[in-house]
Amino acid sequence: MEASSRVHILLVEPPGAGREVSAALAALAGAARVSVASDSRSCADLCAAGEVDVVVAHPELGEEASAVLASAGLDGPPVVVVTPATDPAAALEWFRRGAADCVAARGQLPEALGLALLEQIRRRRAIVERGAADRRIRDLERYNDHIIQNMNSALLVVDAAACITACNPPAERILGRDAEGLHGRPLGPGLDGPARLLQRSLATGARFRGAESEIVREDGSVVPIGISCAPILDSDGVRIGAVATFQDLSEMRQLQRQVLQSEKLASLGQLAAGVAHEINNPMGFIHANLAQMAEYARDLRRAWSRVEELQKALAAGQREEVEGAALRLAATADEVDVAYLLSDLVKAIRESQEGSERIRHIVSDLRDFSHQDTGQRVPADVNQCLESTANIVWPMMKHLVVLEKEYRELPAVSCFPMQLKQVFMNLLVNAFQAIEERIGPGGGSGRIRLRTRRTADGVEIQVEDDGVGVAAENLGRLFDPFFTTKKVGMGTGLGLSTCYSIVRRHGGTIRVEGRPGRGALFRVLLPLDGGGEEADGD
Amino acid sequence: MATEPCVLLVDDEARILSALRRSLRREGFEIVTAESAAEALRILDERPVDAIVSDQKMPGGSGLSLLAEAARRRPDAARMLITGVTDEIPRDALEAAGVCALITKPWDDARLKATLRRALGLDPSS
Repeated sequence: MEASSRVHILLVEPPGAGREVSAALAALAGAARVSVASDSRSCADLCAAGEVDVVVAHPELGEEASAVLASAGLDGPPVVVVTPATDPAAALEWFRRGAADCVAARGQLPEALGLALLEQIRRRRAIVERGAADRRIRDLERYNDHIIQNMNSALLVVDAAACITACNPPAERILGRDAEGLHGRPLGPGLDGPARLLQRSLATGARFRGAESEIVREDGSVVPIGISCAPILDSDGVRIGAVATFQDLSEMRQLQRQVLQSEKLASLGQLAAGVAHEINNPMGFIHANLAQMAEYARDLRRAWSRVEELQKALAAGQREEVEGAALRLAATADEVDVAYLLSDLVKAIRESQEGSERIRHIVSDLRDFSHQDTGQRVPADVNQCLESTANIVWPMMKHLVVLEKEYRELPAVSCFPMQLKQVFMNLLVNAFQAIEERIGPGGGSGRIRLRTRRTADGVEIQVEDDGVGVAAENLGRLFDPFFTTKKVGMGTGLGLSTCYSIVRRHGGTIRVEGRPGRGALFRVLLPLDGGGEEADGD
Repeated sequence: MATEPCVLLVDDEARILSALRRSLRREGFEIVTAESAAEALRILDERPVDAIVSDQKMPGGSGLSLLAEAARRRPDAARMLITGVTDEIPRDALEAAGVCALITKPWDDARLKATLRRALGLDPSS
């Protein structure tokens, strides 16, 4: 029914019946279209065509009025039955059979019928309009559902009780579960990460953008995810749920690990000369000592052969031979300086052992540094990470640099220790290169200061140098990938940008203070919880 | 008999000095050692020296600059550089400091001795 067209009233009137109903309807002719059908069949045809708003059954139809009621159908237009007289029992019977109203054909028929029709039309309008509204809602739901089901991101929606109300196919894939098994359920085990964020959105209205979390599948495998969360508000601003979108970061993490590893190997390459020097020094004296000890052994064997000669002479009991052998022994012992050999041998062995221990340390530090993290955050002592990294780079800088350390006691930080070591390594190598650049070929020395301290909500690590410093125009670009002021071959331009992304992954910040010619100070701030979830926005 | 030639060994690493001393024990040299460039220069000012064997990388002054300075103070002393890293020493800097031999760590005892004897003008057969 078109709401704007004129109302269509269909009167079902047997041929030759009284005209009183037609007359009553004539009063409405200006406002409504009135047509007449002679029986229930033609009434059914018109109603089926959907053109009729309300049907009026003539009193002389008698029992035929039942057929009219049937022909209008359940979803069809309402039927007002005009009865010959006011008869409540008959009216009830008509209502039971589906009449919308009953009007007696006597007294003020035009007014009574008019009011009854008006009421029926009003109701019919309301029903039609509600139907249209329902349809609009259904369309909107389908529209939203299409978007949700076909979007590339995984989407999870919960209601105010934190029970799942929507979960799209990408979410099913990441969670490794069917949406059906999740619907209406609270966020169960394995979904702790998203649950924490969604519950905070529900409780405080907090939004999260680009936070990192993880999901544990039913088979125990862990999927790292990047997740954004927001509360869902009704029109009064009441939080009625929360929505999370997330992506599987496994592949990205894998790539990040590869980039980190190659960056790490690149910085090891920069260390190679220093490491070679540090190994060649002990190698130098161990090698020389071994050559000397071989000589000592030859000399001692010579002296021992004289001892054996003497023993033989003693056994033979010839006094002259004994004396001769004793003299030869004394001469040889004197010549090879047995007393010196024995005492220096002990020294040479001790020094060589110490040298080989140093080499063992260097190699194990290097092996430790080139290890990869397991992919899981672990609680670690940041002081220890800084110290072991400083030990690796120390050899290459010790001829030019004084290293000052001021470590305060720190609580354990949940982190990827190898990644933090990479940050410290890059900062230390940068500090050293800045000092080298300032000193130039002229000679001189520099100072690097390492400080750690506890802050209100985490730890701070400072690396300060007195190198060339950072030009003001470069401060803003320092952490950009591939930005470098170093000479070709001295840097990849990835060092500080790697530091930046590692520190961010730990939920921390890295800042630089620097004045050209007066060194630079890098501050790394890390939260204790590793920044597993990083709030962004309100 | 002529006095023993004096060889000054310079290295910030005492273990290297001690190993070099062992290597040269039988050579009939008078061995003097210094653990820094500054100490070496002090010795050069105090007494004549026939050869200097210096480490390159040392805190407080490189071996190369020590040898360049030694060339001014004791031009007659043979100058040799011993180092764990060779790639960063330019040839012209070696020539400028009048370095007659570059020895790498770890060194070969026989070659070290032969180089030193040659630098001191001693015929090994004599």
